[in-house]
Amino acid sequence: MKKILLLTISAAAAFAMVACSKNKPPVNPVVKEEPAAAVSAEDSAAIAKAKADSLEKARLEAERLEAERLEAERARVEKLINELMSDDVYFDFDKSELTEKAKEILTQVGDILLKEPRFVIVVEGHTDARGTEDYNMTLGSKRAMKVKEFLSAYGVANERMETVSYGKEKPKAAGENEEAYAQNRRANFKVNIKK
Amino acid sequence: MMLSKIKLFIFACFIACSSAFAVIDTISVDVGIAVANTMPIGLVPFNQVGHFEAVSAKPEEVLKRDFELSGRFSVVESPTFKMVTFVRGGAKFYVTGKLEKAEGSKVKLSCYLYATQTKDLMLGEAYTVAQKDVRAALHDFVDKVIKQLWGEFGVASTELAWVSKVDGVKQIVVADYDGYNRRQLTHDTTISMMPAWTKDNSSIIYVSFRNGKAQLFERDLYTSKERRLFADKSQTFSPAVNPKTGEVLFAAIHGNTTTVYLGDPKTGANHKVMFGRASQVSPSWSPFGTEILYTSDRGGSPQIFVMGKDGSDARRVTFMGNYNERASWSPQGDRIVYTSMDGGKMNIYTCAIDGSDIVQLTSNAGNNEHPTWSPDGMLIAFSSDRSGSHQIYIMRKDGTNVTRITNSGDNTAPTWSWYSPERQKQISNQNEGW
Repeated sequence: MKKILLLTISAAAAFAMVACSKNKPPVNPVVKEEPAAAVSAEDSAAIAKAKADSLEKARLEAERLEAERLEAERARVEKLINELMSDDVYFDFDKSELTEKAKEILTQVGDILLKEPRFVIVVEGHTDARGTEDYNMTLGSKRAMKVKEFLSAYGVANERMETVSYGKEKPKAAGENEEAYAQNRRANFKVNIKK
Repeated sequence: MMLSKIKLFIFACFIACSSAFAVIDTISVDVGIAVANTMPIGLVPFNQVGHFEAVSAKPEEVLKRDFELSGRFSVVESPTFKMVTFVRGGAKFYVTGKLEKAEGSKVKLSCYLYATQTKDLMLGEAYTVAQKDVRAALHDFVDKVIKQLWGEFGVASTELAWVSKVDGVKQIVVADYDGYNRRQLTHDTTISMMPAWTKDNSSIIYVSFRNGKAQLFERDLYTSKERRLFADKSQTFSPAVNPKTGEVLFAAIHGNTTTVYLGDPKTGANHKVMFGRASQVSPSWSPFGTEILYTSDRGGSPQIFVMGKDGSDARRVTFMGNYNERASWSPQGDRIVYTSMDGGKMNIYTCAIDGSDIVQLTSNAGNNEHPTWSPDGMLIAFSSDRSGSHQIYIMRKDGTNVTRITNSGDNTAPTWSWYSPERQKQISNQNEGW
């Protein structure tokens, strides 16, 4: 629950910033009209064209900056969300069944996803270092799918979730002991905000 | 460990048979894996005329290592020809030669195989090569000696591909079978793994995570060109190349299950080999490309199964232990080698293709996995962490004569190349002559 509050606050802050900036008056400097008495018709046409060009340039530049700023903002929120959702779901050896603790975490993740329809996630399934690369790829995929199935049942649309298996290739903890193994038998989330 | 398994098995057999036979005096266990004794061969240092900077090792050292790695010879060394030494050592033949300057920076390498008793020349080969290619020339000579004395083709000129960590990232490397002449194939920031040789040894098919998930790619060894294989599947891995047709078996993840597919790497066309709810992984071809070994978890734990190329007649091969994976068929077709996990440790076993006659090849030496057959079926390369880091080793198919061929870094998952296309042709011609 605490997580959702935090998320709501941070997201609200982020959106507020975006909203404020949109209401700002245009930043383009207003170009004052010069008296055109001494210039010929041709010259004036050229000047008008140059003015129009520079205006266009300034407008494009402003648009680019705005897009860049929005993208940076999106990336910042995305990073924030990923940190908030950094809790991993853990599994027992050679198992892909969800534990009670895992379901608790997934309920929270599900709440966040239901609240924020712009979020799409990649569920990554991992295994510990024991066993072959090949079989662990299948085990990782089963774990990722179990998580997806749970969230799907919780109401999150399937199109918003992709599953990927890393097998034993991306351990979180190094070492050949049960402590490290337990840390590595997991599923974790990558959150992307739809552009 | 193995002994207790055998005992258990024998006990089970005894129970099963005891009703049929009143008395059982002895039970003879026929171990089909036994390798014929090695052939002693004499070795006299080469006569080296001049000094050659770029010739990294003495010819006799390269020959000694090749002979010993081959699993076929034991070397009897002598600083000069000594009849007594060779006869006592049982060496009916001996090898020596000469290394001298040729035109430019090249060298002339002359290699001879003599009969010890008569000093008759059995085989003579002369190579005029660049200094760096002396090693390759010596490998070639060793294969010719094996042909002469065994009537079979050796593997001294074959190669290995494996996975090596470079700056913490798994990359694909290839090297001569003895670990020398190593070249790094991939230079990605993402993981590369599971290399497999195409039928003519011209490309490596492997798994790359460059798109954020496991996907098969084929890389040409000569042009370095790369292309994705079977792009209609999202996650693909475990490639296995048919030695006769070049077709590729692979595993693809779809939802909850992983299934074995059979595809043509040229056209990309592929289809599911066998339908079923259980996961299938780690496919491997029989030597003539007609049957398929694979692992299924349909009994709740990974076990090895075999089926026809068309998915018919699936039957279970392994019954002992609860983690048997990654089977691979011997080139002669008589046995399979596989990895089994027991007490959290991986070890290498072989058995007959009906699952009987299990022999444990590695024990009490860390984790031993990724067994791969040499094309002549004499040797098995594998990776082990027995030294504290993962390194590549070669042993005879009976588990003896274990030799480490990599020394530093983290090296896993060796895959032996096929014979060269010319050699494959010679072998098939020879077989047709029968």
